[in-house]
Amino acid sequence: MKPPILTIIMSTVISGTIMVLISSHWLTIWIGFEMNMLAIIPILMKKFNPRAMEASTKYFLTQATASMLLMLGITINLLLTGQWAVLNMPDPIASNMMTVALAMKLGLSPFHFWVPEVTQGIPLSSGMILLTWQKIAPLSILYQISPSTNPNLLMAMATMSVLMGGWGGLNQTQLRKILAYSSIAHMGWMIAVTTYNPTLMLLNLVIYIMMTLGAFMLFMLNSSTTTLSLSHMWNKFPLITSLILTIMLSLGGLPPLSGFIPKWMIIHELTKNNMIIMATFMAITALLNLYFYMRLTYATTLTLFPSMNIMKMKWQFENTKNTTLLPLLIVISTMLLPLSPMMLTLL
Amino acid sequence: MLKIIIPTMMLIPLTWLSKPSMIWINTTAYSMLISLIGLTYLNQFTDNNLNFSLLFFTDSLSAPLLMLTTWLLPLMLMASQYHLSKETLTRKKLYITMLVLLQLFLIMTFTATELIMFYILFEATLMPTLIIITRWGNQTERLNAGLYFLFYTLVGSLPLLIALLWVQNNLGTLNLLVIQYWAPPLLDSWSNALLWLACMMAFMVKMPLYGLHLWLPKAHVEAPIAGSMVLAAVLLKLGGYGMMRITVLLNPLTNFMAYPFMMLSLWGMIMTSSICLRQTDLKSLIAYSSVSHMALVIVAVLIQSPWSYMGATALMIAHGLTSSMLFCLANSNYERVHSRTMILARGLQTLLPLMAAWWLLASLTNLALPPTINLVGELFVVMASFSWSNITIILMGINITITALYSLYMLITTQRGKYTHHIKNVKPSFTRENSLMALHLLPLLLLSLNPKVILGPIY
Repeated sequence: MKPPILTIIMSTVISGTIMVLISSHWLTIWIGFEMNMLAIIPILMKKFNPRAMEASTKYFLTQATASMLLMLGITINLLLTGQWAVLNMPDPIASNMMTVALAMKLGLSPFHFWVPEVTQGIPLSSGMILLTWQKIAPLSILYQISPSTNPNLLMAMATMSVLMGGWGGLNQTQLRKILAYSSIAHMGWMIAVTTYNPTLMLLNLVIYIMMTLGAFMLFMLNSSTTTLSLSHMWNKFPLITSLILTIMLSLGGLPPLSGFIPKWMIIHELTKNNMIIMATFMAITALLNLYFYMRLTYATTLTLFPSMNIMKMKWQFENTKNTTLLPLLIVISTMLLPLSPMMLTLL
Repeated sequence: MLKIIIPTMMLIPLTWLSKPSMIWINTTAYSMLISLIGLTYLNQFTDNNLNFSLLFFTDSLSAPLLMLTTWLLPLMLMASQYHLSKETLTRKKLYITMLVLLQLFLIMTFTATELIMFYILFEATLMPTLIIITRWGNQTERLNAGLYFLFYTLVGSLPLLIALLWVQNNLGTLNLLVIQYWAPPLLDSWSNALLWLACMMAFMVKMPLYGLHLWLPKAHVEAPIAGSMVLAAVLLKLGGYGMMRITVLLNPLTNFMAYPFMMLSLWGMIMTSSICLRQTDLKSLIAYSSVSHMALVIVAVLIQSPWSYMGATALMIAHGLTSSMLFCLANSNYERVHSRTMILARGLQTLLPLMAAWWLLASLTNLALPPTINLVGELFVVMASFSWSNITIILMGINITITALYSLYMLITTQRGKYTHHIKNVKPSFTRENSLMALHLLPLLLLSLNPKVILGPIY
């Protein structure tokens, strides 16, 4: 894609999300969502193969439906309260409608079916934007209407999401689908805590974005999209294999890595509110996620040969992929646990 | 406490910046110096504890375990030199880094004041151990072993996290020094029973309890020598230590809830001892013997009497040193014959007599010969369980007999009898190996002279 066009499209994506974040009028929020969605379609279709077009079409249809549901909720709210200000939605119908719309946008169960298929059909860099940047806008709206959301609905969606995210990813070897199911599970964790402490939802979002960006960039280094190609990484980037180990374990939520911070805080919050069975259930299903991350690390890192490639020409080939801020992301994804009090106060 | 933690952390830059010929020397020497610092902590008050800061404290229970951990790192490094000699330099340094990281987490676990910090570091010890087992093990089964190890421990310990957070919400704090005074009695109800289970299952899996022990033979057998040593000597004791700390919160429900686990442990120790008699794999035999000894510790901790706690602490230290020594001996066999089958390298006394002396002493301490601390531990546990219920003396007696049987079976098979014709070109024992065995045995024998040090806070 030519650089000027890419600049315009990316800036539309960014300004769409920012419009959602800063507006106090429901109409501009809807406009922001639409701008975001329309601008990201060309990003999803960077390659002109039928798979990418199918993925973009699916994305467009689900997101447009979700925007319309959102508009319906906004209109019902307008009908019942007579104003467009973004406050709580006291009416349960409007609030539930909006929650369902946002769930469709985020890819929560039972509206998760588009996430693996769309993520699989698009290039790695587009998938990166899809799974990280696109979550910011809907979650910000959920943060704002969180006092009036229906806890039962959110908990039901959270339960289904962690289950679907865990079990769905077990049979996958394609990396993009694995990260899609990981996204579904993490979204489940995020909305489970929204009714109790929305700040923890933002904490989970921030740490999840850091880890997923890091994971995608590590995969993009080798342009690997399958577990098989990931297992060839020992040849070209032996150091990156160990970084994949740490990021995968961090995504799985193992202490002492920073992926443990959101899980610990969310379980703490759920326990404080007597949702002990929910907390136990979510913690155990996170182990399903950990299994397929471990499978990736087995293919990549833990089965390394005793000696590396002695190819002499390797130093001549520099890294050509765009891995912005990769060291920073790795450090944030793995070493943030001692700073967790600071993380809580920052958000 | 920082005077142990910072030097241990600094071992990592030491390995990465040392000259290639000096990495083993530097790390072994400095880790032995660090262990000498820990010796000062053995001078504990019997009824009080030594509070270092808000985060760290030691008392008569954790100081011997801390000493065991710090003593074991130089021994692990000495034992790993041979099998890493053919790896590239970066790999060697990575391996040492994993060991040092594990050591760091273990030191902080044994001295943690706050139970959540204990939990986080308890889980954190899983990661370096998993990497050591899965990456540097020798057979293909190591992959399965790593998965079993990780998932058994995690499934047990996630409910523990939730239980700890619940207790923190109720009591206001999880500081070990405070909850021993503030813990309300836990009465008999379904939810309290679930709380008890949630607290204890993590440690039961770690010990391991007989029904949940499936990860242990796999992990011990597939791990390289340093991994086996640290698993057998220290990581199992994490379970015992955690159980002893958390039962403070769980009375008087423990009198009622402990029965199934007592049954499993009492039966399990006989079962695993009997399995040892039929083993062909040497490391597997030592692994099952670990399960059997730890079952005694579980019995002791669940009885909750002063003598049983003393026995449990003594048994943990004694078994740590003994089973680590047995693994080193098995490894010395493995390095020569490249097989763990016992009968392939039999009759070694004629070829390696000094090693046979170490084998004899290790087997004798394993079967709890007086006056070693193994005997002190086992005897206290047997007496305490007799006072808890008279019938257990039969089971304990059978266990002691079978322990003696398999220890002598192991000794006789590997050392006595006619040697096989194909081990004629076995290399003689290295000084490194002999010093390794001596360094294992010396604390055992010295502690037999003064067992008061390891008898724990109840003495």
